[in-house]
Amino acid sequence: MHIVVCMKQVPRDNSVKINPDLSINADGIEKIINLFDEYAIEEGIIWNEKHGGKLTVLSMGADEWVEQMRRALAMGATDSLLLKDPAFATLDTIAAAKVVAAAIRKLGDVDLILTGRNSTDDESGAFAPALARILGWPQLTYVGKVIDVNPGSKTITAERHLETVVETVTAPLPAVVSVIKDINNPRYPSLLKIKKVAKVEPPVWTAADLGVSGLVPTVTVTQRVPPPPRPSGETIDGPDAATKVKKLVDKLLENQII
Amino acid sequence: MIEYEHSDEIKMLRQTVREFVNKEIRPIAREIDEEERVPLDVIKKAGELGLLAVPFPEKYGGLELGITGYCVLMEELQRGDASIATIIGAHTQLCAMSIHLGGNEAQKDKYLRGLNRGTLIGAWALTEPNAGSDAAHISTTAELHGDEWVINGQKMWITNGSFADVIVVHAVTDKSKGARGGITAFIVEKDFPGFNVGKIEDKMGLRASHTASLYFEDMRVPAANVLGGVGHGFPLAMKTLDIGRCGLGGGAVGGAKEAFELSRQYAITRHQFGRPIAEFQAIQFKLAEMAVKIYTMEQIVYDTARKVDAGKNATLESSIVKLYCSEMASEVIDEAIQIHGGMGFSRELPLERMYRDARVTRIFEGTNEIQKSVIASELLKQVGYRIHRHEGVYPTPKHAPHS
Ligand SMILES: Cc1cc2nc3c(=O)[nH]c(=O)nc-3n(C[C@H](O)[C@H](O)[C@H](O)COP(=O)(O)OP(=O)(O)OC[C@H]3O[C@@H](n4cnc5c(N)ncnc54)[C@H](O)[C@@H]3O)c2cc1C
Ligand SMILES: Cc1cc2nc3c(=O)[nH]c(=O)nc-3n(C[C@H](O)[C@H](O)[C@H](O)COP(=O)(O)OP(=O)(O)OC[C@H]3O[C@@H](n4cnc5c(N)ncnc54)[C@H](O)[C@@H]3O)c2cc1C
Repeated sequence: MHIVVCMKQVPRDNSVKINPDLSINADGIEKIINLFDEYAIEEGIIWNEKHGGKLTVLSMGADEWVEQMRRALAMGATDSLLLKDPAFATLDTIAAAKVVAAAIRKLGDVDLILTGRNSTDDESGAFAPALARILGWPQLTYVGKVIDVNPGSKTITAERHLETVVETVTAPLPAVVSVIKDINNPRYPSLLKIKKVAKVEPPVWTAADLGVSGLVPTVTVTQRVPPPPRPSGETIDGPDAATKVKKLVDKLLENQII
Repeated sequence: MIEYEHSDEIKMLRQTVREFVNKEIRPIAREIDEEERVPLDVIKKAGELGLLAVPFPEKYGGLELGITGYCVLMEELQRGDASIATIIGAHTQLCAMSIHLGGNEAQKDKYLRGLNRGTLIGAWALTEPNAGSDAAHISTTAELHGDEWVINGQKMWITNGSFADVIVVHAVTDKSKGARGGITAFIVEKDFPGFNVGKIEDKMGLRASHTASLYFEDMRVPAANVLGGVGHGFPLAMKTLDIGRCGLGGGAVGGAKEAFELSRQYAITRHQFGRPIAEFQAIQFKLAEMAVKIYTMEQIVYDTARKVDAGKNATLESSIVKLYCSEMASEVIDEAIQIHGGMGFSRELPLERMYRDARVTRIFEGTNEIQKSVIASELLKQVGYRIHRHEGVYPTPKHAPHS
């Protein structure tokens, strides 16, 4: 079975700076695997260990992304593939999904695509649905548990962890699955593999290799302003704690919160 | 700060250690210091991940990432907790290193492999109550009885000594020969009859790293456990320390970087007199001086590590690294506390622990005074001058003593 994990390199999000135009300035910030993708990689490894075959880590990005791809290889991915072209540099989510879909078609034998729920830099959350739509495959989003991947019946059964309900769903393979945090416990890259994977140069496919052209972003950012500040809360005053608690409880009852 | 340009494999090592430190070490650092608890579970996890195997050959389960890799490991560990760095340091750069340098195939197979994986924990015992800096004058003895050595004596200040599975012990096998030829190293297992652990020191810092006295009463050690040949123990010990000194420098760089990062953040967020304290030149100059120290520390650590990895003799450089980095780390952490004002003195922040932990790096692995002696004697040797030593009650060792 061939599992592909789509992986993005992102700046460590708790330390990025904000440019004057409110865009992200990631200069000099440590690059890491997108948090959610790390869970996708671990899930891919789990099922690859069970069923064998290939686990390809696929990225559409710049040369420097290879560093994180090597980390995925040290975790346990068997193959890597970098989609790189000057034309890919400024794509929006839908265009990126078109490029990746072209690569998936070119690979030909893919049974399952795993992605993270969203990336921590762009936050669109639309990549997996777009990819599934373009490929015409079933999409399973917000997956918090993969119950079974069955190469015999060519199906996947998984739990979708929604806000108020956990849905168990089954879909035929090939399918696109986006996973949430804490679906598993991602392993550390094996240090014993470091020397080997540090030398790996992933194969590179360009726009020409993929036969994609005329890519233009359909969405352009025209302005960035901060959201309006949230109105400050109300402070409850009183001479002592008992009075303050009473006032607070009265208020909550009045507003039918309790 | 300024990023040191390491190879891709060293960068990967750093990122993995950093993640390990963030997940497994930072959350417990304060608590293990307060409880004086050796976090053996974390050490075991580190072993499973390969963090105890960084400089050793792949043949014995090592990562073969050299002293450079080892220094990066120490740097990242010490950013999280110096006690854990010390436990792993004594295990790796002292115990496993001496077996790597002096051991035969069978010994490496039996011990280095397990030490690399963390299924065995190591300690290294040279210092005695009456022989610290003057390590050539240890008095623990070993006598050959048939095919076993019988060891009697006491060691002191032995990191990991109270829980290690394997302890490299140095003893006098021929008093007439002095340090060169008269001292032998032995690989001791904790279950050998006659091995006893004494008290654990109550220390100023590194409180989650236990340092113990060891007693040997007619302790029996098979002849096969002689490490590096009878009479070769002292030069082996000196070589082990020599190679490992860089690691202490690496750790110091990590501690200093952590203190700097905390200070820089604090300087821009703490307001006094209506502005961030980063606006005051007094604070700016402190940050600048800290960065200068860190940059120079890092350069000499990795330049020396590169020489050691290339198989060059770097005794002079390693002593300079040990001396300079231990002094600079203490200064940087001290300034970090100053920048934090009263908060720097509080246990809520890691700085006061780092301050206590850093102090000992000027004492162990050869005091800084001893480093100066080594540096001077190496420098004078370069122009053919050998320092004249005053004869004491016993012959003075040829090599500058340290432990
Ligand atoms: C936390 C900790 C962990 C340790 N772990 C280990 C371990 O795992 N294994 C091990 O074998 N040892 C270990 N040691 C021992 C350590 O290496 C010694 O403490 C160190 O070598 C100094 O020896 P000493 O304490 O006996 O001091 P001394 O040698 O008594 O020194 C006292 C003072 O005299 C100075 N001095 C001594 N001789 C000279 C000289 N010739 N010229 C100028 N000044 C001199 C010293 O610099 C120092 O300032 C550890 C020590 C500590 C504190
Ligand atoms: C153990 C302890 C006991 C104490 N006891 C008392 C007590 O009994 N009563 C009491 O009232 N207070 C007490 N204090 C508070 C103490 O006086 C303050 O900690 C001290 O004045 C420093 O203030 P701060 O901690 O807010 O540091 P900050 O004022 O925030 O200083 C942080 C750093 O900025 C520097 N800095 C600030 N302003 C300038 C400037 N204009 N130019 C250059 N550098 C500047 C400082 O020198 C310092 O390095 C105590 C503190 C401690 C730690």
